[in-house]
Amino acid sequence: MSDSRGTVWSRALMPDARDATAMPSVLVLDGTIAAQPWRILAVRPNPEARFARARGGELGLDEALALADALHAAPADAAILAVVDTPGQPYGLREESAGLHVAFGSAVEAAIARRSAGGPLFALVVGKAISGAFLTHGLQAGWIGALDDPGIEVHVMSAASVARITRETPAEVARVAAIVPATARDIRTFARSGAVDALFAVRDPLAPDADELARVRTALASARNAGAGLRPPLARLAADGAQTTRAAALRVRAHIAEQWNA
Amino acid sequence: MQEIIVERAGGESVLRRAHVGVVGSGNLEVLCEPPSTGGARIVVHTTVDGFEPIWRATLERFLANRPIAADFEINDFGATPATVTLRLEQVVELVLEPER
Amino acid sequence: MKPRDLGVRFAEADARERLRAIADVGTFRELAGPFARLTSPHLAAQGLVAQSDDGVVVGRGRLDGADVALAAMTGEFLGGSLGEVGGAKIAAVLERAVNGAVLVLDSGGIRLQEANLGILAVAEICDAIVALRERAPVIAVVAGRVGDYGGMAIALTLCSHIVTSEVARMGLNGPQVIEQEAGADEFDASNRVLIWRTTGGERRVTQGHADVLARDSCSEIAADVRRVFALPRNARRTSVERLRPIVDAAAATATITRHA
Repeated sequence: MSDSRGTVWSRALMPDARDATAMPSVLVLDGTIAAQPWRILAVRPNPEARFARARGGELGLDEALALADALHAAPADAAILAVVDTPGQPYGLREESAGLHVAFGSAVEAAIARRSAGGPLFALVVGKAISGAFLTHGLQAGWIGALDDPGIEVHVMSAASVARITRETPAEVARVAAIVPATARDIRTFARSGAVDALFAVRDPLAPDADELARVRTALASARNAGAGLRPPLARLAADGAQTTRAAALRVRAHIAEQWNA
Repeated sequence: MQEIIVERAGGESVLRRAHVGVVGSGNLEVLCEPPSTGGARIVVHTTVDGFEPIWRATLERFLANRPIAADFEINDFGATPATVTLRLEQVVELVLEPER
Repeated sequence: MKPRDLGVRFAEADARERLRAIADVGTFRELAGPFARLTSPHLAAQGLVAQSDDGVVVGRGRLDGADVALAAMTGEFLGGSLGEVGGAKIAAVLERAVNGAVLVLDSGGIRLQEANLGILAVAEICDAIVALRERAPVIAVVAGRVGDYGGMAIALTLCSHIVTSEVARMGLNGPQVIEQEAGADEFDASNRVLIWRTTGGERRVTQGHADVLARDSCSEIAADVRRVFALPRNARRTSVERLRPIVDAAAATATITRHA
């Protein structure tokens, strides 16, 4: 089985990294970028995973706990890069019964704790970034980069799942996505919300070349030095794109600010 | 999706505002406020098309029985005329309640 | 119309009644309410009518005198789904909260019709909960008929204490979605006994995933909220050390008995 995008990009960004992987479906690499220490975390497929519904790169119970561990145990001076390429969370009775939502909370908490304590947190979306999995692995980052590639999908559910639930035709889904950007799943539309700090054009997302990698490394180093990795999710509302794409949220916040002490 | 507006001149102005209901399946919410026009004005937003005559009949009957001047906003998700009338009565009761 | 008796069933009460029942009498002040008309700009284009408060009621009030932020989701509007406006309301009051917060969650997940703006809001809410709970209690109440799923179920687990009831259930993916995606053999969504046995309020308390099993009563839930408000936060809920044996046990189970 060929390597996933997440694996390819993680290894390519830090080819000399030490592999600190404790569990196959969560790749953990410790290395350097621009002479500074980084820990890269990527969720990836494992056909031997003990939970059958989490073998295709889903962020399941084991993956969530492995992420939490890797965040808690990351070297103190390392910045964290979440390389995001996951079809989402597993749909399983065992997962729900065990409390998948709590396992996710564990990893989210570890990410927030790290960032709040001064540990820079970055995300690079190289594939799918779906729902709870993206909330847990990526969305607590202070800086989010993404490949400018049609293979990227950002949404709360896979396209196939949405189609099954809403019974809309692909044409109808596309029609709505064009008028309601919040429902679009392509990365360029998502970037218009102001939540994406950099887009990287690539020839082949499964085979980054030296120039493409250099550009990403430069962007990461420069963002790190500017303190971008410490920004909370709230900071995204200050981005240019958010002023129009998230105008309703900004109106709500302004209203509550005004009325809070009234 | 349809917007329907029903108006009726005159009536005694309400002084307060009130809100009832929820936009759930088969349900509706109603907001009622002091009038912006010289009478009653009901603006309906409904997910279900094609029932304008029934809306008009229901709302005009309600306003004939309750000649108040107020702005109403109805957000409807397929409620029956009986439910619509009930919610309108509920919101008017709230808006006319003596101040505690 | 006289005010409802506070002994009324919590699951039958609407969002405003729930918050008024929980806050000290007469102290709940709603913010960004229906008349502010901060509604979703995304729904009309999708043939849906927006609710004036976007299905979320927020405000400020007192809890045994403490100045707290309050928020309650309305399960009946679009399945209690969280959208851009509702998400911003919750995040904004959490960010401003003085001495703590109470979140009444009745959520089916992030609103599909607002997908990516909903998910961005949940990220803000998670961060706001963790920031606030460092200095003040954030109490979650999951005691309604929709339960708590999706993004807001992740946020739930970050709270200081969780008060639930037998009425409620909580998890990441709801039974219908699992049946839809993985087939009825994986999860028969019509099997209510199975749903509550695996994800219901009582089970969650037994597992340690929730803290208090309250009766379905406004006054009792209000009392339970006050009681846990005074306690130190339950930090064990999300500890990897506590969760790992639970996950190991789940892995060891080849199947869960599906027939009750």
